[in-house]
Amino acid sequence: MDPLFAAAPFTGYVYPNETVFPWGVLIVVYPYLTGLVAGAFTVSSLYQVFGLKQLRPVAHFALVTSLCCMIVVPVPLLLHLGQPERAFNAVFTPHWSSAMAMFGYFAGFYIILLIIETWFVFRPYMVQQAQSRKDLLGRLYHVMCLGSYDLSDKAMRYDQKWIFALAILGIPGAHGLHGNVGFLFGSLKSREWWSSDLMPVIFLFSAIISGVALLIVLYVLSCKLRRVAVDIPCVKGMGYTLWGFMMFTLLLELVEFGSLLYKGREGIDMIMEFISTKLVVPFFVLQLSIGAVTAILILSFLFWRHITGRALVAGIMLSALLTLFSVLMMRFNVVIGGQEISKTGKGLLTFPWEIFGRDGILAAGSVLIAPLLLLLVMVRILPPWQDSPAAASH
Amino acid sequence: MPKHIVRLILLIVAFGVAVVSARNFLVDKSFYEYGHYRGNAVAEIARDKPKYQGTTYCQSCHAAQFAEWSKGVHDRTDIGKVVKCEVCHGPGGGRDPQQGYINASTGPIHPDNLKLAVPTDTRALCTLCHEQMPGRPLQQAQIVIEDHAGAQQCTLCHNPHSPRMIFGSLAAPAHPGNAAAGRDKIDMCASCHGAEGISAGLPGPTLAGQNEAYLVEALKAYKAGKRSNPMMTAMAANVNDGDIENIAAYFASLKCKRTVNAADQAALARKAGASVCTNCHGANGISTDGMAPNLIGQSKDYLANALKAYASGTRSNVVMFALTKGMSDVDAEKLAAYYASSSCK
Amino acid sequence: MDEKEQFGEGQAARRSFLGCLGTAVVGGAAAVAASAMLSNETRAAAVDAPPVPAIPGYDWSKHHWAFGVDATKCIGCLRCVEACKAENEVAPDAHHFRTWVERYVYLEGEDSARVDSQADPVNIEASGSEGKYRFANRYKDAKVDKAFFVPKLCNHCTHPACVQVCPTGATFKTDDGVVVIDHTYCIGCQYCVQACPYGARFFNEALKVTEKCTWCYHRITKGLLPACVEVCPVGARIFGDRNDKQSPISEFIKNNRVEVLKPETGNAPNVFYVGIDKEVS
Repeated sequence: MDPLFAAAPFTGYVYPNETVFPWGVLIVVYPYLTGLVAGAFTVSSLYQVFGLKQLRPVAHFALVTSLCCMIVVPVPLLLHLGQPERAFNAVFTPHWSSAMAMFGYFAGFYIILLIIETWFVFRPYMVQQAQSRKDLLGRLYHVMCLGSYDLSDKAMRYDQKWIFALAILGIPGAHGLHGNVGFLFGSLKSREWWSSDLMPVIFLFSAIISGVALLIVLYVLSCKLRRVAVDIPCVKGMGYTLWGFMMFTLLLELVEFGSLLYKGREGIDMIMEFISTKLVVPFFVLQLSIGAVTAILILSFLFWRHITGRALVAGIMLSALLTLFSVLMMRFNVVIGGQEISKTGKGLLTFPWEIFGRDGILAAGSVLIAPLLLLLVMVRILPPWQDSPAAASH
Repeated sequence: MPKHIVRLILLIVAFGVAVVSARNFLVDKSFYEYGHYRGNAVAEIARDKPKYQGTTYCQSCHAAQFAEWSKGVHDRTDIGKVVKCEVCHGPGGGRDPQQGYINASTGPIHPDNLKLAVPTDTRALCTLCHEQMPGRPLQQAQIVIEDHAGAQQCTLCHNPHSPRMIFGSLAAPAHPGNAAAGRDKIDMCASCHGAEGISAGLPGPTLAGQNEAYLVEALKAYKAGKRSNPMMTAMAANVNDGDIENIAAYFASLKCKRTVNAADQAALARKAGASVCTNCHGANGISTDGMAPNLIGQSKDYLANALKAYASGTRSNVVMFALTKGMSDVDAEKLAAYYASSSCK
Repeated sequence: MDEKEQFGEGQAARRSFLGCLGTAVVGGAAAVAASAMLSNETRAAAVDAPPVPAIPGYDWSKHHWAFGVDATKCIGCLRCVEACKAENEVAPDAHHFRTWVERYVYLEGEDSARVDSQADPVNIEASGSEGKYRFANRYKDAKVDKAFFVPKLCNHCTHPACVQVCPTGATFKTDDGVVVIDHTYCIGCQYCVQACPYGARFFNEALKVTEKCTWCYHRITKGLLPACVEVCPVGARIFGDRNDKQSPISEFIKNNRVEVLKPETGNAPNVFYVGIDKEVS
């Protein structure tokens, strides 16, 4: 029989129970996904609520992306639970002092909101499809329309009001969901690495950049796949958004990191050792240097030199990919890094990687890919493309 | 209001109703009874069957062992040191933790279908508490087992139920000898040990008043070749076991009246550092323990030779070997001088 | 359609929207609160004394349990650790402990202690098995300035961080002061394992729920001592009822200047220590 758990090797002194990591790579994926949800929704809200009109080509796409990610969000959690069939205990008898119990409500509220908003946005398309198609898909559209084909001006005005209200409500919804995840870590006084008031804020900002970056990548990819010209102003708009939020994120992370070191509370010696050994590659090299700083430098160069055309798209695409990677590494360094520092303040653990198994890399990788596959299906049912006529004819 | 919005709202309401009724159906009725938890859980957790049963449970069948234990140093409630039965034997109820999980309330109970462990590797067991180790409080009795017992098990000398009592319990010989019958057999002994058992310058040690059990064991050891001395080996070879017991009884019955210069002896004691010896041999050479011989009345040479023989292993005894190992000849002479300072009259 | 009508309809829509959302989303929470209040009220009306859990011969309102550790007495024999594993059927390996013992050794010329527990690979090698425990005599030839043993267990805090973060109410503090886990309700998220500053909790991979010390709740409710206290040969572990002024724990707290571990976390532990040192946390 396979061992039920993987014991982590350690140096120094760690509490005997700490050699089994409570949270593995699935819990790295989970905040990453909620971040993508919040970030993608932000892009759609920038268009729907804040009137960033150049984002129109990706506004609906962002909504669908957010929905696809959101549907997958509970999967890593359920996979990680010891008793997934009891997950509803947290919803039916929620312990209000627990950030984890709040998750059920944030997620439940937000996913319903997202479904309704998507429904309103795609209602005209669904009605048109339901009326024109006679096949099985037509029936599906008919059900999805709730049997009403009302596309009158009056109905559309109602829809617009709902969409606006939901888009506004969705901003605290999406960011509440992800901020709650940040709070879930930041509120734990048992771990010096997590225990920070800045944690929810950092999570939110990194969520926005990861969501914007994901949309850049997916939008450019989708244009290539659909053989449609990339809308330069749109990509440039997202590039600017990414650039601005990234600077904030990086700054916040450095402030948090600096204040942790500056306060130098109990166990700081071990944290210093952690930083100077285990953290060098995943944090300084991968997350900060290759991920964040390089991406910011590329974006700064592009906008400073007023580069445009294919080069601009390629540059923004590259920095978006780097950002996605950087945020994933940030989630890793928070979730796994926090557990690698012993609560004793006298020892360090090494995360035991697993490939197969419930908490292995394969499972986590599958969960990461799942929203993309879902998106591939979803864009066929609800095409979110709003290419400008010029581009479409191109 | 447009139809589709009415339907959407109805759908949301239906969903809400479904969730609330599912919740009411699924949540345990005792939830929130005492707080934010399932009230019945408290009694369920308390229901598990205890595995450690306590000494009274053991006493109900093992009264003799219990009595032994309760008189010994492993039951010192006065100083808070109590090694209960289940500390060494394991829990009276329940199971070996190696066997994995089973409902705690249905596990077996000793004696029905659970055998308790009788530890055999006492060297490993006793040293869990008594191995000399940095961190152990000084008042804890601690040994370096190689020095203390060589390769022997602890139970060779100690009764684990009452570790300080073992020498006494072995003291009484199996067949008490007849002193009168023994008197007729000592002609050969008298030439070296004295007719009254007091050697007073003769080559053999004083035997008057010596522990009977020790004398029996010594003679049997010579006869069996476990202890070697040219004269004694020859002598003992022709004595049968019954006579050994009688001879021992005779010499044990003789009187040895102590004469000692108290001031001299105190000075010698300080020089010799004899405190460890007095545990068994007493402060003035009169044994406090059945198996340890009286040292009173022995010559300094005899005692010094004995110590050196123990130290070198030529005379074999686990305890004496442990205590004399590494002892210098000078120390042996000092110790011998101290015990030789009491003599028989 | 004129401006006014549109406005009016919009308002109505908003109102009905809010109303329905209220029923659907807030309704769940309201129902929770309402049913909780109702059930409590009906119960309170039925009997005069507040109800207590049905434990035979035991009334939790009469007890207030607490634990003491006199580290100056501990000899590091680890009988407590083995007894706990047997009594509570804890996985017999070196990674799951409801209680454990730490050894602190200051070598000559070193400022900080070398710490290990029975789970250290060196000590597991000395015991010869992951299910049996003994401290290897690894410092016998070293120059030791100061050394001592410290038994550890769940602190059954007055403000338990683990209970605070539990999403379901599967872990809770009983009225007699013991923090326990309802293994039939735990979802196995291990948030409590993260939240405990003392490392007292662990995940039971066989039962797929979190597990920890209960002060042997099944023993103390029957008038017995916790297994670790029962077997401690030197009286280093003290247990009792603080409501009883003559109980060992009341005497222990009264007669000693007791400390708790990591007081800065605000958890307010109920395991009281004597004879620990600056590095013990």
